[in-house]
Amino acid sequence: MDYLALGFMDVLNPVTMFWVAAGVTIGYVLGAIPGLGKATGVAVSIPLTFYLQPVAALGMLIGIAKGSAAGSAVSAILLNTPGEPSSAPTALDGYPLARQGKAQKALKMGLFASVIGDFFSTVILIVLAAPLAHYALLIGPVELAAILLFSLTFIGGLSGGSMLKGLIAAAFGIFFATIGLEGETFIPRMTFGLLELDDGISLVPMAIGMLAVAEMFIQAGELKRLDVETEAISKGSNPGDNVVTRAEWRRCAPVIARGTLVGSLIGILPGLGASVGSFLSYGMTQRLSKTPEKFGTGMIEGVAAAESADNAVVPSSLVPLFALGIPGSVIAAILIAAFILHGLTPGPLMFQQQPRLVADVYAAMLFASVVMLVIGYTCQSLFAKIIRVPMRLIIPGVLLLCCVGAYMETSSIFSIYVMLFFALFGYLARKLDFSFVTFLIGFVIGPKLEFSFRQSIQLLDHNAVNLLHHPIAIVFLVLTVATLWWIGRWKRPQMPSAPGERGPAPRTDIASDHKGGS
Amino acid sequence: MRRANVLSGMVLTAFSLIMLFVVIPWQIDPAPAGMISTRLVPNMMMIAIAVMSVILVVTNLKSAGGADGPSPITLADLRMVLRIGGLFVVTIVLYLLTGPLPAGFALVAGGLLALGERRPLPLIAMPALLLTALWLLFYKVLGTAIV
Amino acid sequence: MKTFTKRGLLGAALGLAVAVTAGSLPAQAADGYPSGPITMLVGYGAGGQTDLVARAAAQVMSGQLGVPINVVNMPGAGGSLAAYELSKAKPDGQTLLFHSNSVINSAPFIMDRVNFKPGDFEYAGMITAYQVGLATHKDAPFDTLPEYIAWAKEHPGSSYGALSPEARMYINAISEKEGLDVNIVPLKSGGEMLNALLGRQVELAFSGGIHFRNPDELKTISALTTFRQPSAPDVATIEEDGYPLAMDTRTTLILPKGTPRAVLDKLAAALKAAETDENFMKITESANIPIMYLGVDDAYAEMNSTYEKHKKILENAGPGSN
Repeated sequence: MDYLALGFMDVLNPVTMFWVAAGVTIGYVLGAIPGLGKATGVAVSIPLTFYLQPVAALGMLIGIAKGSAAGSAVSAILLNTPGEPSSAPTALDGYPLARQGKAQKALKMGLFASVIGDFFSTVILIVLAAPLAHYALLIGPVELAAILLFSLTFIGGLSGGSMLKGLIAAAFGIFFATIGLEGETFIPRMTFGLLELDDGISLVPMAIGMLAVAEMFIQAGELKRLDVETEAISKGSNPGDNVVTRAEWRRCAPVIARGTLVGSLIGILPGLGASVGSFLSYGMTQRLSKTPEKFGTGMIEGVAAAESADNAVVPSSLVPLFALGIPGSVIAAILIAAFILHGLTPGPLMFQQQPRLVADVYAAMLFASVVMLVIGYTCQSLFAKIIRVPMRLIIPGVLLLCCVGAYMETSSIFSIYVMLFFALFGYLARKLDFSFVTFLIGFVIGPKLEFSFRQSIQLLDHNAVNLLHHPIAIVFLVLTVATLWWIGRWKRPQMPSAPGERGPAPRTDIASDHKGGS
Repeated sequence: MRRANVLSGMVLTAFSLIMLFVVIPWQIDPAPAGMISTRLVPNMMMIAIAVMSVILVVTNLKSAGGADGPSPITLADLRMVLRIGGLFVVTIVLYLLTGPLPAGFALVAGGLLALGERRPLPLIAMPALLLTALWLLFYKVLGTAIV
Repeated sequence: MKTFTKRGLLGAALGLAVAVTAGSLPAQAADGYPSGPITMLVGYGAGGQTDLVARAAAQVMSGQLGVPINVVNMPGAGGSLAAYELSKAKPDGQTLLFHSNSVINSAPFIMDRVNFKPGDFEYAGMITAYQVGLATHKDAPFDTLPEYIAWAKEHPGSSYGALSPEARMYINAISEKEGLDVNIVPLKSGGEMLNALLGRQVELAFSGGIHFRNPDELKTISALTTFRQPSAPDVATIEEDGYPLAMDTRTTLILPKGTPRAVLDKLAAALKAAETDENFMKITESANIPIMYLGVDDAYAEMNSTYEKHKKILENAGPGSN
């Protein structure tokens, strides 16, 4: 890796630096805008980079991906509308913080967590791409099924107010995800003859509808109360609310480290995606915290956990791409085209044939992480002012952007119908206190679990004994059982007397007050 | 919330039963032999929802007796939902008939109106600004590529 | 087309940028075509093989025709949604679809609600072919299809990775004829297929061509095309091995029914320029995609003959495809 030094020399020239910084900025802005996400941003920008130098082009595209993973925290915190589904957990605690006048604090922590997660994940990519990728190959469908089962154990804690309703929401999530052509039999499920539903309900329009548009509906109904709150926030702010204190840093440091690790690991496994990473990190942090019931009311650790994992997924999802030529995520798949267009064929050959270019790209990525800190900081002071604007001006704007974001997925108005359907669904869910977090998790993990299960049955030749050939899977299954048992034991002393509801009675007031969905 | 819980529980129970016995068999063909049934997961989920909704209803009926608290969805909420819903209908119709620009304009201006904005300046300036900004972001960003 | 107005704005600049790069802006042709920016639909999402070739082709053709070409991704139902959208467009050559011809010569036999026939569209040429094949990892104890069959007979319960009904059709046909016991493992994407092969989780898999990205680790044992593949000329085609099941798929310029022949000819000529365009060749080479240009008449012939052939193959297929 002495090429890396050369790589830095190549990258640290004004033109390349400009384009990488431009990419990060564009990404950050796109991420901050509800409705527009990194996949759209990167795909739309590929033609732009046609006649840039390869390093500048690739640096810019990757910069967009990184920037938007960080920027998505902004709208999550300020407007309770995550810029992307993977920032949904950020909103759970970020928005309450903003409503308490601590928007700057939350934004800063979000940015720091994002940058740290992103930077270390990039380092992992650079140093460990090849060996990691080969280990990742050991994770086949059988192992994946076990891992997914394990991650489901953290769902319970994310139900918010009512475990029962949280599980109902999760079941709905799984159910909706079955709509479409089933992957093994290719039999349509619940498509009602509509070809548009053959590929199932797309995550982006669904999430935009459920998280962003529904939130706008809710806030529209609360204009007066929100405006009063905003007045109060603008008038009385104490400086401690605008920075991250040392004590908070100490509390969040382990959280960020954990989030980075979780995000990096999830990113390497193909097909899981950033949402799984951030949810898992948030769930774990909540479970391991001394005050789990406070999550959802403004725990800054929640923001740190979600954002560090959310950002860590992006560079590590490039690991299978660089090392093996396998695109493990939507971004990676889009980037493959860009790579090939610029003469770099991702895969093992890449390191042998073009080590210099690879080093350049690595250097550009590290540079992008650093630049993100600067750009995020500058943009935030601008964005934070948004919270001063009355909601009635913001809501229509957000609605427009959501429509654009949903439409761009498929260039067809059908996505907007999907968005509106889930907006209504999400609105009802929030108002009736059904957790949208568990719905999302069910929606994302459910189909993957079913599909890996089907694959496992075939791989194991319909014979459970063959499971013995898959030690990693067995390890995770044991972990799942152990976690469930530990949760069961740990929860019992805290079981309140009111059946069907978790936590003491006053909690319901807080829940209906902040409408964060928990 | 309790009354709302009972209501939502009952609605969900009815919904899941209809799905279970009518919609799923109608919409999902069975899988060929040797593969996991295509109806398995949807059925499992609907059964789970049915069972849990019944529990929801029962536990919320049982704890009746104390004060309930205000209904989570007020009439004012519903009115707002209808207003914005109507706005979307208008937007979509405009889009299908005329195109994205008038539709986008209507969405923003209409939204502002629906939320109580009456001053003419924001009503015209905001949609114009937003549409221009979008145009800039996508058009210009691609356009400035001329280094 | 109303649907594309906003995209038109978007693409206008994109195309402008592209056209400027391409260098020359030749004067508008006398007969008035093209009369403005052209919209090129792609039936798959951004980033895939087809999208890559489409964008590269769009760049070349834009330079040739003198107008911007906006690439619009309209994924869904394997390209059927884009094809339906195309059929609603005006047959003036301003809207075209760049996609695998499988959407017309295979999809109708696999998907219930898709009913295309070659006569529903016009064709302005084909440019690249998909090197579809059966692939496995380098260390597999068989190098050809007959060897695989022999091996599978001795190892019942082995795994085969399939990511589409066509993939299942092939292994079903072979298993039926030879009495094999093979478990079909479903796969969701090309990436998953590569993962499964490289991780030795399946012994054989159907690949749409991306297995050539890992020549050191993967080998082809059977070419599922009627011709020997440029990236693996020593590998026998499945027809040579005794199974008349080869199905050729190529990227095709598809246009709405009724588009005038003059327009088709112009587009085909522009497309042909990609055959010798340096940039285009660089891209397709690095992605292991062979350039196999077919002009207008050849394209029609290919569509009609493959439609009949694939109909026979797919309608006779056993369980697993519907």
